[in-house]
Amino acid sequence: MSSSPPPSSAAASPSCPKKMIALRSSDGETFEIEEAAALQSKTLENMIDEDCAGTPIPLPNVTGKILAKVVEFCSKHAEPGVDDESLRAWDAEFVNVEQATVFDYILAANFLEIPTLLNLTCNVVADMIRGKTPDEIRKFFNIKSIFSPEEEEEVRRENHWAFE
Amino acid sequence: MSRRLRRKVSRKGKEKVVAHSYTEFEEGVSTSERNGDVDWTCLPDDTVIQLFSCLNYRDRASLASSCKTWRCLSASSCLWNSLDLRAHKCDLAMASSLASRCRNLQKLRFRGAESADAIIFLQARNLREISGDYCRKITDATLSVIAARHELLECLQLGPDFCERITSDAIKQIAFCCPKLTKLRLSGIRDVQGDAINALGKHCLHLIDVGFLDCLKVDELALGNVASLRFLSVAGTSNLKWGVVSHVWHKLPNLVGLDVSRTDVGPAAISRLLNLSLSLKVLCALNCPVLEGDVNFIVPKIKGKSLLAHFTDIFEGIASLFVDITSKGKTVFLDWRNSKKTHKCMDEMMSWFEWILSHSLLRSAENNPQGLDDFWLKQGAPLLLILMQSSQEDVQERAATGLATFVVIDDEHASIDRGRAEAVMRDGGIRLLLDLAKSWREGLQSEAAKAIANLSVNVNVAKAVAEEGGIDILASLARSMNRLVAEEAAGGLWNLSVGEEHKGAIAEAGGVKALVDLIFKWSSGGDGVLERAAGALANLAADDKCSMEVALAGGVHALVMLARNCKFEGVQEQAARALANLAAHGDSNGNNAAVGQEVGALEALVQLTRSPHEGVRQEAAGALWNLSFDDRNREAIASAGGVEALVALAQTCSNASPGLQERAAGALWGLSVSEANSVAIGREGGVAPLIALARSDAEDVHETAAGALWNLAFNPGNALRIVEEGGVPALVHLCSSSVSKMARFMAALALAYMFDGRMDEYALVGTSSESTSKIVSLDGSRRMALKHIEAFILMFSDRQAFTAAAASSAPAALAEVTEGARIQEAGHLRCSGAEIGRFISMLKNPSVLKACAAFALLQFTIPGGRHALHHAKLMQNAGAARVLRATAAAATAPIEAKIFARIVLRNLEHHQAESSKGL
Repeated sequence: MSSSPPPSSAAASPSCPKKMIALRSSDGETFEIEEAAALQSKTLENMIDEDCAGTPIPLPNVTGKILAKVVEFCSKHAEPGVDDESLRAWDAEFVNVEQATVFDYILAANFLEIPTLLNLTCNVVADMIRGKTPDEIRKFFNIKSIFSPEEEEEVRRENHWAFE
Repeated sequence: MSRRLRRKVSRKGKEKVVAHSYTEFEEGVSTSERNGDVDWTCLPDDTVIQLFSCLNYRDRASLASSCKTWRCLSASSCLWNSLDLRAHKCDLAMASSLASRCRNLQKLRFRGAESADAIIFLQARNLREISGDYCRKITDATLSVIAARHELLECLQLGPDFCERITSDAIKQIAFCCPKLTKLRLSGIRDVQGDAINALGKHCLHLIDVGFLDCLKVDELALGNVASLRFLSVAGTSNLKWGVVSHVWHKLPNLVGLDVSRTDVGPAAISRLLNLSLSLKVLCALNCPVLEGDVNFIVPKIKGKSLLAHFTDIFEGIASLFVDITSKGKTVFLDWRNSKKTHKCMDEMMSWFEWILSHSLLRSAENNPQGLDDFWLKQGAPLLLILMQSSQEDVQERAATGLATFVVIDDEHASIDRGRAEAVMRDGGIRLLLDLAKSWREGLQSEAAKAIANLSVNVNVAKAVAEEGGIDILASLARSMNRLVAEEAAGGLWNLSVGEEHKGAIAEAGGVKALVDLIFKWSSGGDGVLERAAGALANLAADDKCSMEVALAGGVHALVMLARNCKFEGVQEQAARALANLAAHGDSNGNNAAVGQEVGALEALVQLTRSPHEGVRQEAAGALWNLSFDDRNREAIASAGGVEALVALAQTCSNASPGLQERAAGALWGLSVSEANSVAIGREGGVAPLIALARSDAEDVHETAAGALWNLAFNPGNALRIVEEGGVPALVHLCSSSVSKMARFMAALALAYMFDGRMDEYALVGTSSESTSKIVSLDGSRRMALKHIEAFILMFSDRQAFTAAAASSAPAALAEVTEGARIQEAGHLRCSGAEIGRFISMLKNPSVLKACAAFALLQFTIPGGRHALHHAKLMQNAGAARVLRATAAAATAPIEAKIFARIVLRNLEHHQAESSKGL
């Protein structure tokens, strides 16, 4: 299977293909990322479009620890010539982390609008959910919310069809 | 900077979510400090909706039932754009409970006429697309009501099953009620009349895509009047008047794609349509015998038009239609899909083409006509793979089903075409199928799993599946709550577990537990899934380690339950085979005994030996054979009526397969280990059928029968029966000419038991005249038997080695004799004290039996044999050493007897030394 070329990099200025973007995390750490890699984030793309990219872009929602991983993720996915197979394995390793970190990845992917990362992390959570009963899900995610008896009955009626 | 974010967010109306993420960070709580205690219910709404969209309906329902926030989000209309109810029986109650969420439903798939009746209760007035299968029984009334209640309907598809009860009346209703209709595809209608088609033309001005597939009659003239048509398929429809077609359809001003596959269209009509139509781009004529049979037909070459048939290059034909895509051949579909620019016309055409092509290919795969090998390898397989990547889910499904079907060349024997399977693998098909299997859509999961299962019959494909992580995927699909998915996944594990390579990986992926759970989950009413699960467990149980896992997962109980309760023969057969394999590790694990301890297990297996189905009888007998290795099981089988059942089985299996014959004889062999059973077998009439089986040419059959007869012959009454039933010539024949050394050996031992004198004493008891004649006839038999026993012994006696061994006392000389005489498999035989005692007393026999007994004892005591130590102890207890020494020293004894006796003595010394070392 041939690897498809990276998504059309129309926005990358052809004169300086290795242009670097600086990002600053909520706790003040600064990270550099190639522009081509940064463009996977729609949020960053918009900022670069608006030419806000001269100074380090402050990302008040992402800690240094998570931002470092996100930069790593975007850079890997923008690597020229990386094949699907090894990327798949790399991704699997990337999300092989504790629940709380997955949670932070999701928030970061959502905030930065990185569809590949959001998709990957949502699938990780989906895998945790698959096959579990509502009770098991509640236990697994430590959910305290309780339905009233009336709600309980409504919920049962609403979802009964899917369990048949 | 954050200004921009706020703006974006407010546009989406997600203030609540953003507020949350901000508070999170404003508090400045870092991940490590939170210590894993995150509040998942605070995930932004978008991400929760994305999470829902990764799940199937069951998991969505579970997630929605777990908390208030998620319950709310689960009703978001973007999760209810499209609904696939095929796995559910949709009734009024279910439809009503869904109604509140279906207000904006656009797309619905359903299965079966009963579900069709309930569709209107979904109250999905905004439905644009309805697609149903298994609609053989759907009526005009139902279809008319559906049309009347969904005025915005744009697309209606019913098939591929024939909608035999739909008439032109319902089609007219559709035309009246659904003015926005653009696409109508119906299968198997008897007569699509002109007035119905005219109504469509008159009322549905946007109708661009019509398919009347596999119909008996369609008014071709009326179709020529539906000017809006861009795509038309009459694939598989009969009784078309091609003269009319070729004079009318080319005038359809907008017709771009025409599909006449699987019809009797001829070259004249094809040429005329291609030449005369101004708008036509694609004419698809796959599997048209008249066209293909015309050797003089030359494909018209017209720029911008393509004829697609088995004999044309389909990829090139499609590629030539794209003016701006420069791709050649197979990449055309991918280039089209990846193309950023949108060409509405081309997109429509390609989507239509994918749809009709997936139909035609699947039909071809199902009917598997001769002479398509080349087509499948060069075009069919690559096309199916490409269709699997379609954006149309039903196309993907049909392509996967097509892959599952086209590789099978013989349903009966589950054999697949190697070339085709490897073509799929070569083109990256395994990865594609596994990706489909991972999707949350159960329709795709089951079809992909089915394809993987069928392809995995080929060992190379199986290897690729394992390497690509397929075993984990199948094991997880086997846990699906959807029976069809679980069934196909279990089928995949069944095929992958055939060889030794993947058993360990299946166990490691949790496959054993998943398969056992399947049996409990579908214990009533899931024949297909039960058969596959039991079949896979049977294969897995053949491995010692996996068999422990099967037991640990509760497999013994599950399989016994199937053997006892399931009425379906395929399931009974696999359950019995699984129990047989579980019990096959008698020495190394306790499963054998465990099976016997399950209530009703042995009774059920005995009962199954009476099944009308040969495979069931065979596997049940095999299970009883293996189980009888355990002393307690053996006697329990006998008290459950096993002797009578197995004798009856042996009596009726003269025309059965060698597999059944072998197991019938084997089970009797197993039971005959105790003399009481042995006597019972003789009394029930087991001797004659065993002699018949000993005459079989099949090595496994006659070897096993020889073993059973050997055990039976220990009892003098049985020995006499063997003589009377003509067993001596049969055994003599085996002893001198079987290809199996074991068969020769056991036949010789049977003869030795019969003529060592005990039978004579037994025969003497009776009326005098009778016994005299008996003894006379016995004399002849005895002479014949002894002569052949002697010949048998000589076969294992190398003159030179014997002379050397006689002359020297060096161990090497004896070792050489041992090597020449050794029968490898004899090491598996286990003798009782009584049998060993009988051989010891045979050592004193003046005839050739002396050498025969020494030979037998040699086999039973060779160091390294499984039961050698056990035999050595029995011999010590019986004081064998003295007798052996006497034999070795006797002046008159034949040289074979002397040398063999010396070797046995050495073996005994060896075991004694070993066991004292152990102390």
